[in-house]
Parts: sequence; C-alpha cells; structure tokens
Amino acid sequence: MTISVYVPAALSLLLAAISRIVVGRIAPTRAVVFVVAAMLCAAAATWGLVLLAATLLGDTTLVADEALERGVQLQDPVPQLIGVTAVALLISGAVRVVRVLRARRATTRELRAVCSSCGTGELAVVALAAPHAFAVPGRPGRILVTRGLLSVLDGDERRVVLAHERAHLESRHHWLRAAAEVCAAVNPVLIPVREAVAFLVERSADEHAAAVTGSRELVARALTKVALAGGPDGELRAWPALPFAGCGVSARVAALQSDPPRPEPLVPSSVLALGVATAIAAVQATIAFYQLVYWLWPT
Amino acid sequence: MATRVSRSSRTSARRAAGELEAEVLAALWAADGPVTAARVREAVGGALAYNTVQTILVRLYEKGLIGRVADGRRHEYFAVKGAEELAAEQMQALLSRGRDRQAVLQRFATSLSVEDARLLQAMLRRRP
Repeated sequence: MTISVYVPAALSLLLAAISRIVVGRIAPTRAVVFVVAAMLCAAAATWGLVLLAATLLGDTTLVADEALERGVQLQDPVPQLIGVTAVALLISGAVRVVRVLRARRATTRELRAVCSSCGTGELAVVALAAPHAFAVPGRPGRILVTRGLLSVLDGDERRVVLAHERAHLESRHHWLRAAAEVCAAVNPVLIPVREAVAFLVERSADEHAAAVTGSRELVARALTKVALAGGPDGELRAWPALPFAGCGVSARVAALQSDPPRPEPLVPSSVLALGVATAIAAVQATIAFYQLVYWLWPT
Repeated sequence: MATRVSRSSRTSARRAAGELEAEVLAALWAADGPVTAARVREAVGGALAYNTVQTILVRLYEKGLIGRVADGRRHEYFAVKGAEELAAEQMQALLSRGRDRQAVLQRFATSLSVEDARLLQAMLRRRP
C-alpha cells in the first residue's frame, strides 16, 4: 500500500491548522469553503480507513490458503495493527456521528416545542431572565428570544438581534454547522474547522445585521450588551467549554469595530485546494489498493 | 457586505410587514406593563410612522398575539403570555441538557472571560 492512504490524515491536520490562521482573514460568507474542504477531508480519511481495514482480509486463512494454492507468497504490506486500528477508528467515528445527529434532532425538536408554546408568528418570546436568542430552522423558521434579552436592549438593538437571527434562517446556516459537526465527528482532527465554521456563520449574520440596520457600531453594542448581561462565565457559557481563542464574542465585536471585511479570493481557493488534494490522495490510495488486490488474485 | 438575500419587491413588502410585527411584539415584551401606541413607537425606534405602528398593533391584536385595555379614549397594549409557564419550563430543560446538546445550540452571544467582560464594559461606557 502506498503512502497516499495516509495523506488525507496529514492534510486534515493541515486544514485544521490553517483554519485557525485564516479564520480572521476570510470573508464571513465564505464559511462554505471550509465546509466543502472538511467534507472532502473527512470522506477521504474515512475511505482511507476503509481501505486499511480491508487489508485485514488478507490475513484471513481463507485468503492465505487460496494464495498458497496459487503458489503466491503472501507478504503483508500493511501491519495488522494498523488494520485493527483503522477498524476501531471507523467504529468510534460512526458512534460519534450518530451522537451528533441525535443531539441535533433532539435540540431542534425541543426548540420548536418551545416556539409553539409561545404562540404563532415569526417571533417567539419566553419569559426567562437569561438573555438568549436562537434561530429555529423549520418551515417557516422562527426566532426564539427570552424576555431577559429584549429588556436589556433598546429598539434599534432589538432590531439587530432579529436581523442576525433572520440571517441564520435565510442563509440556512444550520446546514453548514451540521455538516461541519458531522465532519468533526468523523474525524476529530477537524474540530478546529468546525469551530471556524461556527464563528464564520456568526460573523456573517453580524455583518448582515449591520447591513440591515446600517450600523456596525450598533451591532457591536447589541452583542456586547447581551454578552455582558449573561455575566462572566455565566448563563451563556459556550460549548466546548474552552472555545478556541479568537472565536468568541470579543472577536466578533473587534471585527465589527475594524474595517468591513474585504474579499481575499486567494484564501478561500487555497482552503478548497487542500480539500481537492485530499480527494486526489484518496483516489491514488484506491488505485494502490486495487493493485494490491490484483497482485493477490492475478487472474 | 453581500448577502444571499434577494427577493422580488412584492415579497419584500410582505416581509417588511412581518419584520415590523416582530419588532413591535419585541418592544411590548420588553415593556413593564400595558403601553400606548405612542410609547410603542418610541420603544421600537427607527422613525416609524404613528399610523404604521397603530396598524401593526391592530393586526397583532387580531392574531391574538397581544391584548389591549381601554384607558379613556386610548388603548394600551400588552404582550399575551400564552403558555408562559410551559414555554419557560421547556426552555429551562433545553438549556440544562448535557454537553452534546449544548454544543449544537447556536447562540446569539456567549459568555465572556472576566478580562474580556472588563474590556467590553469599558467600551460600552465610552460610547453609550
């Protein structure tokens, strides 16, 4: 088996590393390139594991006997330990994907239940003091906020929250986040990419709200007020418990206070190129695997 | 910033009406008690015409999303709290679920570190 079967794993590490670096430089609406690259990486890495796991078949007595009958001296090109590890990784990945999908479905179902307890219409308000706002995808999508959030903001700032949540719904950000979460579940090396996507969709919604209300300063103020109302390390704690540095509310406020993002076409294309490189490596690994099989069964 | 939102003018007019309804409803929820249309207009901000606010209030009232009381010749409006207890309980339960479930919640804002909170507080004071 050639080295190409291990390349997707290496490139996933590289993608994770650059996602931390370029997250501040890429236009927020380009979160989708991270998602595509992560999907290619996750798919290629999984396929690589499947190929490695398949080499275990070469150890079964059935195959060994057959090879012996044909007078082929069987050399094991992949250590058995690696094959077994590949199987273990595949199983744990599958378990994590199921967990993520279940958590997503259950959360959306509960958010919708809260919304329908709050009556009809686009806006659903819950009488809670903690300042929360959520976009609840559905047909139609709804905006769920707490009374605590509404009461710390003035009219213009409330319009920011509504515009922000509407941006999530209209741009279908929940799909981007779901895809990134699944990729990170398949391949935990991609967790920083998931965090980058989560950050970029928030930034994108912030900029949309700034365009709607006509003031980036206003968006920064609304964000600050809500974050402060949650108290330090209080009600609004983020998960994972230790978010990656530079991906929190402060980074969003700072971005709103500096110049509007300029599109830098090279950054998204290089992220995409990395994903494509991973896919090519997966194809090469497949060819190598085929050749290995062909060598085992020359007919 | 480019957004992917583009609609025909007809749907955008209808949409705008829906957006205003949400803003008015949000203002009523933020208020401490029943308020007049004039107060609602102030609370919503963004230079809405008085008649527009009045129309939206009537529409929300007809949908049963808000209630009103007569105060002399004027009406005072308030948010109808529907299944308030149930919704609050459901939301509390949702917010106290485990790690897996918290990770998929997409929040408007998240908590700050003590240091960041101090910095942002200073910023708010600088530009009230």
